[in-house]
Amino acid sequence: MNKPLESGLGGTHFIRIDPQRCEFLVPRWAFTDQAVLDKEREEIFGRCWLYVGHASEIPKAGDFVARKVGGRQLFLWRGEDGVPRVYFNTCTHRGAMVCREKQGNAKRLTCPYHGWTFDTRGGMVEQPGASGFPDDFFANGAKDLISPAKVEAYRDFVFVNFDPNAVDLTTYLAGAAEYLDLVADQGELGMEVTPGEQVYSMRANWKLLYENSADGYHAITAHASYFDYLRATVGVFREDFDPHDVGGGGKSLGNGHAVIEYQAPWGRPVAQWVPQWGESGRAEIARVKAELSARLGEQRADRIANWNRNILIFPNLIINDIMGLTIRSFQPVTPGYLEVSAVSLAPRGEHPEMRAWRQYNFNEFLGPAGFATPDDVEMLELCQQAYQNMPEVGWNDISKGMNRPDANQGDDEVQMRSFWIRWDELMGAAR
Amino acid sequence: MALLTRAEVEDFLYHEAALLDEWKTMEWAELFTEDGEYLVPPTDLPDADKNAALFIINDDHHRLVQRAKRLTRRTAHVEFPHSKVRHTIHNVRILEQDEAGLTVASNQIVYRAKRQNLDTFVCHTIHQLARTADGLRIRSKRVMLDIDGLRPHGMISAIL
Repeated sequence: MNKPLESGLGGTHFIRIDPQRCEFLVPRWAFTDQAVLDKEREEIFGRCWLYVGHASEIPKAGDFVARKVGGRQLFLWRGEDGVPRVYFNTCTHRGAMVCREKQGNAKRLTCPYHGWTFDTRGGMVEQPGASGFPDDFFANGAKDLISPAKVEAYRDFVFVNFDPNAVDLTTYLAGAAEYLDLVADQGELGMEVTPGEQVYSMRANWKLLYENSADGYHAITAHASYFDYLRATVGVFREDFDPHDVGGGGKSLGNGHAVIEYQAPWGRPVAQWVPQWGESGRAEIARVKAELSARLGEQRADRIANWNRNILIFPNLIINDIMGLTIRSFQPVTPGYLEVSAVSLAPRGEHPEMRAWRQYNFNEFLGPAGFATPDDVEMLELCQQAYQNMPEVGWNDISKGMNRPDANQGDDEVQMRSFWIRWDELMGAAR
Repeated sequence: MALLTRAEVEDFLYHEAALLDEWKTMEWAELFTEDGEYLVPPTDLPDADKNAALFIINDDHHRLVQRAKRLTRRTAHVEFPHSKVRHTIHNVRILEQDEAGLTVASNQIVYRAKRQNLDTFVCHTIHQLARTADGLRIRSKRVMLDIDGLRPHGMISAIL
């Protein structure tokens, strides 16, 4: 066991749960301690399924995108046989990154250092000066590019796992798979990531962003200025809308995954019209809704169209199915600093007018210059800085809703508790 | 029609920058034409089409006015209290000019300081300016970031 565990609690738990009092406490050193991050790298990022990218980002044979995932440098490369594969971005000779562009297309990649060359199946196919090696030195893939222990896709969402003993992806996703289906089913012709990536960061611990991404409780205070914006936007805001009462609620989906599902006044390109979109928008949304109903049935179409979902896939993937459809993944760098990448997901073949509204919508609330995300970043950074008070003020409270276990509301905190319980298990708590 | 000189255009850009540095955001919004827009494309695709790609900022006139208004409120938490912002403008070039307006390119460095952090935004900016009875107005301001992602900045909360 690592040091904070011993010195912090003298037990086997990081978190404290008191069911009688309906109290759930998380120690603040979980956000600040380098030893905790070291252990997270091993037990969480070393063993959980981690999102790498969406298959639509590499549509053609030879397409690649480079990604940092779980502290590793990876790249996703579609083979000439059409199969998407993931490799560690490092030459098997002396280690230089072989994939130097963020994205591109290549049948072969050549390491710039000594010229070792690899094909899309990772095979080491050419090296200058081969005479210095025995004839069979490169036989049987001995110097091929190396892939993570496991690579699997679910509905085009590609994940890796560095643990050869990990359960398969679908088992891991548990109840979250149903929610990925609700996202993937939106496009008659499938889904695609649109051009443009929002690359940003936060001076905060990665777990703060996981919590924040499905936190209904903070909306009314942290995002008051966003609701002012909605009120000022013609025909978007319904006067009867009460941010405290958005229907639905939060739930745990197993393995630390969670969701909040709720209704909201903003437009959803699939498929909730707002007056801002005009009559042509109304007609297109009606067509989209009719197509959804015909393909998936009335009930499922209503659920997709009318409900918003913030989906948390443990440990570091957020899919916000709200006024747009976002894929946001993030990586810890230090205990107090994380890196974020966000892209917009959309139905293939979407009407250009709706696509334009989708992208416009995304920026309304989300992203590093939206009307809400910068305030979220500010909140997380205020938390992170204030954890310097830890010797005297050591615990976070995540208890809201514990007194109504069967009827979680949208502003309760069950989704965070589900994260922390799983986190605690993986970090070695004996329960 | 007398052509505008670079110095006259620079005066306009300096005026815009001064308003932003002084957090007079509503006055800044008034510099725009009724169909004005304020755009920041993604760092990896500076030439992208706002209707197809995911931008960082994609404001039509309505939204840039709301952005300006938000930044006057205490509830825009990220900018309350306001950070220190300083624009510097260089390499101003008039690319095109006719009776209706001008296209102006400039390099801009914007500094933002808050809570002991200093973030630097390296920008090349294209202004589409309209000549109106009230003087120059901005039809389009497109700020392209010459940084490889908003790291460590994390955000664009002030107006670039």
